[in-house]
Amino acid sequence: MASSSSSGLTFKLHPLVIVNISDHYTRVKSQSLPPHSAADASSLPLLLRLEYSDASSVSSAAAPSRSSTASSFSTTPPPTPSTALFSRKSKSSVYKKVFPHFYILGWYSTGSDAQESDMIIHKALMDINESPVYVLLNPSINPAQKDLPITIYESELHVIDGIPQLIFVRSSYTIETVEAERISVDHVAHLKPSDGGSAATQLAAHLTGIHSAIKMLNSRIRVLHHYLLAMQKGDIPCENSLLRQVSSLLRRLPAIESEKFQDDFLMEYNDTLLITYLAMFTNCSSTMNELVDKFNTAYDRQGRRGGRTAFI
Amino acid sequence: MDPFSSAAIARQTWELENNIVSAGEASDSSAAASDAIFYYDEAAQAKFQQEKPWANDPHYFKRVKISALALLKMVVHARSGGTIEVMGLMQGKTDGDAIIVMDAFALPVEGTETRVNAQADAYEYMVDYSQTNKQAGRLENVVGWYHSHPGYGCWLSGIDVSTQMLNQQYQEPFLAVVIDPTRTVSAGKVDIGAFRTYPDGYKPPDEPVSEYQTIPLNKIEDFGVHCKQYYALDITYFKSSLDCHLLDLLWNKYWVNTLSSSPLLGNGDYFAGQISDLAEKIEQAENQLSHSRFGSLLAAPQRKKEEESQLTKITRDSAKITVEQVHGLMSQVIKDILFNSVRQSNKSQAEPSGPEPMVET
Repeated sequence: MASSSSSGLTFKLHPLVIVNISDHYTRVKSQSLPPHSAADASSLPLLLRLEYSDASSVSSAAAPSRSSTASSFSTTPPPTPSTALFSRKSKSSVYKKVFPHFYILGWYSTGSDAQESDMIIHKALMDINESPVYVLLNPSINPAQKDLPITIYESELHVIDGIPQLIFVRSSYTIETVEAERISVDHVAHLKPSDGGSAATQLAAHLTGIHSAIKMLNSRIRVLHHYLLAMQKGDIPCENSLLRQVSSLLRRLPAIESEKFQDDFLMEYNDTLLITYLAMFTNCSSTMNELVDKFNTAYDRQGRRGGRTAFI
Repeated sequence: MDPFSSAAIARQTWELENNIVSAGEASDSSAAASDAIFYYDEAAQAKFQQEKPWANDPHYFKRVKISALALLKMVVHARSGGTIEVMGLMQGKTDGDAIIVMDAFALPVEGTETRVNAQADAYEYMVDYSQTNKQAGRLENVVGWYHSHPGYGCWLSGIDVSTQMLNQQYQEPFLAVVIDPTRTVSAGKVDIGAFRTYPDGYKPPDEPVSEYQTIPLNKIEDFGVHCKQYYALDITYFKSSLDCHLLDLLWNKYWVNTLSSSPLLGNGDYFAGQISDLAEKIEQAENQLSHSRFGSLLAAPQRKKEEESQLTKITRDSAKITVEQVHGLMSQVIKDILFNSVRQSNKSQAEPSGPEPMVET
């Protein structure tokens, strides 16, 4: 049922969606307190997603970003398409007030693979959006897994055995975040200290983040490196398209090398140094001030009459 | 090379250093224990509502637990408002002396002065939303409201205080949360505060030490007048086991964003605003100091004490701004060395030069 999609649309998924789905699943799971196995896959809520670009710019070649954030408003499982439609309509009008740029993009569910019954709901959604998206989250926690257990399906009309049928096809997606989202995801994921802490802890927290990111980059590059070495030795057949990609990647470094960039960069560097300098000044003058006041209070009690000016 | 092992060690060090308690010690314990917080016990909640233990003790609620989802939603919503204040409601339940926030949703109102009236408009939305939510299996009630203070810190303004006092009279238990998305982005950590007001005329027995924050000059009066009328609650976060798992995996994808974030460029306006505000504060402090030159001796020590603390405050503010700026610059320098120093050596791509790059140039 799933082969790779040919629509050419790329999907950018926000972490908020993922957390939303997982929260819904956890909630449903814990409400029905007797321990459920992972076969409880029939929480079938609907998904409201936002669309940043205009519908007019959606074209298969350009592959614009369809960012998505999810809010779930679910139907009671198992839904019939009619009830689903009804609750959805009322909800969408309410939601439009808060987020006028959003419209319903698709729906999500939990489970391990797309199934026939899902197609019924999918078809019902096609009333609202002619090409809905189906996000599937696999809630079983598999510690060996390195990839996100989320798949995005689109529906396509394929001719199978002479009959045109709608089947699910997989689409690829990337994760996109805005800065604020990234920070809060980081915060929750790693439970960073939320209060001020000392300057040292703040600095260390900041650098740790960058350090981990660089380590990831390093490991990825290593993988590529080993692969290329193996190719060179002849262990693996040469794949020219991959080689072309790697070489184009290499040619992109150094990222920027113009004079103007250097100038601007150094100017920014100097600005920061200036700010540090000023802050040190402020710090010193404040300490001086305190010192002088303490001195005054402690020693110069007699000579203060008749308008001798105070120290500043 | 497993990128998680050192990250895990680092995380545990943090947690130890900062006494962070993850809800239900979610890291290694069984999934059931950490997910238990998601269970909504209707009977227990109803009983708690009837008992009203908070009626006698204004300081009853001391802690807030916010779920990962609620935090994300609130921060994203606050950030999407840009420089306009936005607000929304939070749903959850209570647990002893803690208020637990499970989810949040945005309200379709914007602006500051009109907020009290706008809540009347939003009631319809709220009722609608709550009804559909109940159908959808989300059983919690509204336990609070949140709004954003973009750029000027997490505290309750005069209007906020009166709104919250009203809320606490009629909709207990109720919580007020304030988020500053601008400071979150510039400092690299979430700027959030949870508050409850004291009832009118109540004087807290001892002043809890509140964390200092930079307040811009034009708001500092509003802050000072009301800052004794409410108290802050401790905030902790919790997430389910599935959330943990997903977030760990998510790191595999969004490390790129971490590396590519440029706080200096993104927050240039905010920094400039902070510095000019600091300059005004210094001028004001200087004027006050020069006045005290000619003041009488007896009054002088009193006034001088105030200026002292003002100058100290200014120093702290300037230190904070500088630290953020320096952090941003550090990221830029690291990126420059990583991606622009190819001309130096041919092997720099393949070298395991992870954290060392700082010494290369």
